[in-house]
Amino acid sequence: MTAPAPLLAVTGLAKAFNGVPALRGVDLDVLPGEVHGLLGANGSGKSTLIKILAGFHDADGGTVTVGGTTVAGPFGARGLRDHGLGFVHQDLGLAGTSTVLEHMALDSHGDAPGRRRVRWKDERARVTGLLDRFEIDVDPGATIDTLSPVQRAMVAVVRAVGSQELTSGNAGGQILILDEPTVFLPRHEVGLLFALLRRLRQRGDAVLLVSHDLDEILEVTDRITVFRNGRTAGTRTTADSTRDDLVQLILGARDEHVAKGTARVRSDRPALLSARGLSGARVRDLDLDLHGGEVVGVTGLAGSGFEELPDLLFGARAATGGTIEHDGTVVAKPTPARSMDNGVVLIPADRKGQGGALGLSVLENVSLPFLDERAGGLVVDWKSLDRRAQETCERLNVVPADPRALFGHLSGGNQQKALLGKWMDTNPKVMLLAEPTQGVDIGARREIFALIRSAVAQGMAVLCATSDYEQLVEMADRVLVLDGGRVSAEVTGADITKDVLASAVYAEEAS
Amino acid sequence: MKATQSEPVTKVEPVTPTPAAENKKRKAPAEPERFALLGVWAVLIIAFSLIVPQTFPTAANVSNMLSSQVVLLILAIGLLYPLRAGDYDLSVASTLNLSTVVVAILNVQHGWNIWATVVVAILASLLVGVINGWVVTVFDINPFIVTLGMGTVVQGLIYLLSNTSTISGIDRALSSAVLTRPFLGIPVGFYYAIVLVAVAWYVFDKTAFGQRLLFIGQSHDVARLNGVNVPALRWRALIISAGFAGLAGVVYAGTTASADPVSGASFLLPAFAACFLGSTVLRIGRFNPWGTLIAVYFLVTGITGLQLLGAEQYVQQLFYGGALVIAVILSKLVRSRGERKRRAQAAEPA
Repeated sequence: MTAPAPLLAVTGLAKAFNGVPALRGVDLDVLPGEVHGLLGANGSGKSTLIKILAGFHDADGGTVTVGGTTVAGPFGARGLRDHGLGFVHQDLGLAGTSTVLEHMALDSHGDAPGRRRVRWKDERARVTGLLDRFEIDVDPGATIDTLSPVQRAMVAVVRAVGSQELTSGNAGGQILILDEPTVFLPRHEVGLLFALLRRLRQRGDAVLLVSHDLDEILEVTDRITVFRNGRTAGTRTTADSTRDDLVQLILGARDEHVAKGTARVRSDRPALLSARGLSGARVRDLDLDLHGGEVVGVTGLAGSGFEELPDLLFGARAATGGTIEHDGTVVAKPTPARSMDNGVVLIPADRKGQGGALGLSVLENVSLPFLDERAGGLVVDWKSLDRRAQETCERLNVVPADPRALFGHLSGGNQQKALLGKWMDTNPKVMLLAEPTQGVDIGARREIFALIRSAVAQGMAVLCATSDYEQLVEMADRVLVLDGGRVSAEVTGADITKDVLASAVYAEEAS
Repeated sequence: MKATQSEPVTKVEPVTPTPAAENKKRKAPAEPERFALLGVWAVLIIAFSLIVPQTFPTAANVSNMLSSQVVLLILAIGLLYPLRAGDYDLSVASTLNLSTVVVAILNVQHGWNIWATVVVAILASLLVGVINGWVVTVFDINPFIVTLGMGTVVQGLIYLLSNTSTISGIDRALSSAVLTRPFLGIPVGFYYAIVLVAVAWYVFDKTAFGQRLLFIGQSHDVARLNGVNVPALRWRALIISAGFAGLAGVVYAGTTASADPVSGASFLLPAFAACFLGSTVLRIGRFNPWGTLIAVYFLVTGITGLQLLGAEQYVQQLFYGGALVIAVILSKLVRSRGERKRRAQAAEPA
């Protein structure tokens, strides 16, 4: 740190959610005229830091210094925007049917009284000037929907720059925080965005780039900070770093090899669920066989398609191509209802939005798949459903073990156990899991693993799509690594370790 | 309720002695706010009985109050179906009016048999529901705006069909079918309505269809991922509400023995007020038929009492409009109170 004083300095920042620490005191400084990469596995605290700076959360402790002055928390709803920080979030925050000009004009009268007239001519001049300066070939009057993904990303970045210039003049020396802006970009277009970042660097701005993608970070940044388990694991100069160093920093010490039990690869059994040439929004031409008695993990970088796979296999999202087979017979048009009839169930990642109805009781939630069977003609037999729900709650150790409790009042782990119990009771042949332990405490996590393993021992097939390597190490018999929608690597049995998975995920063309 | 009968006793005993007891204990602090509206209703009845003892607590007045709300009650019960599924049907009032006008035109101007006209009127109403549901589910458009538009289209049709004039002289057979007093001096229409309330309760609480509607109302995604055919059920709910509106229209035609092209519209707000106010009773936060029944008669008690005290017609608007807004505020308050209570509970053991 011989260089000039940092534009943005974070020291000892801490934050806990319901007593679970997400940040245990992180340090980070970003210098003027540098692109600074921020790396870390899921749950390492990257997004918590960004959310604190953006004003979504209040920090529990620590200080943030912007341009030499320490800003006292809480930062309020606008976060540190008024102190010269600009944010570009992963989803870019652009409305599809509005024009570029309208988006940018929104910023220039953000706090102004609503009656102030928008001077469209001045706005157009300002926006055109801004786009020209950064050599972006986009018409200010174009609606967002008509732009390519990379154009959208660049507009979002320039928009953030422009809104900072409005408050602090266009002298440069701004701080721009980009949260995984490349996830949804086609690979060959990422370069355009990076050229823009280099132009910002030349002006003396500071850019903090959050990403999962090691290659991108190595390509565009000057320095790199790595978070691990809510702490700063280290800061490196990019020129002196290698991919291996970084992987090691992300994962921690290399002694975390946990010997796994014998792998059970059951390709001898007939496949319970198969996909042939399956394509979706991100998945490309994928072949897959799920055999009874095995847990297949699916992982990859965000945007590689692994998140989409359970939905596609279940029929919750329409595939754009390929076929799905249940027990060897092709399912013409997979829908959730048809999949359920054939013993294929899905536990979605978005537990609150898709897994269960928060405003209804546990009993009602776990009874939904049984309504027909227990309806006995016309009347739903609530008494027997209640008995079964009570039994399930007790067997799976759901707290409170009260089927009448509102589903939304349960903790994440208990919600997940209830949903798991619900589907287990349908005696499924195939269970598709998406991030099954997200937001689940460590105790419940173990219980969930145990439940899944015991069901698998009885012949069920499980597909688990997750970016949590540890979970795959503990649970999976084989792991498919996706890249660009295709399977780029397959790891089996005792070879499944965090290291191997991480290098398979981060290695693009390597292995 | 039906716990005592039909269950083989041998099975129940060994399984759940302790958890059942625990359950009872947990359920013991039953939310008193569930019955708040009933309490207020009782207070109203007592107060009016004391203030205007010669007119309010009379058999004639009670019978009048009960029968005057039959049309509204039928309409509101039908409206519950789409509301359960989270959809607004703003076309029910026009559909009711359409049904009334169809009965009048066919019966009075074309001399059709009254029962044939009833069938046609209800079929026409169902058709409105089919179109509503078709637009809502096939094009995936918010039913709020679809039914608002369809309601206006139907209203236009009514003007066209009726020549914007009142048609009177509907066959008395229809009137006697809804107005005879078989029991306790209360018109038979009231008993029809009670049967419909009971059927709705049965459908919502005891059938898979009702339970699925409830899930759709909570979250389309949850329902869909649990294998529920969301569009089909939403469509069905909109057809049911239109059918009920048609039935309400027939009863209305029988009650007044005439049909005018505008009066149906006055049922729209009261129906929504009753449904929303009803969702603050018995099963808080859920649209429920018995709650709606209570809400309808709570509202009419207040209005009748005030009118007996000399209030003018405007009191209706004040009461229905106020009730709708207050009901919505109340359910919000109760929900956030429950949320706070839960948080306090969650904080305790930690």
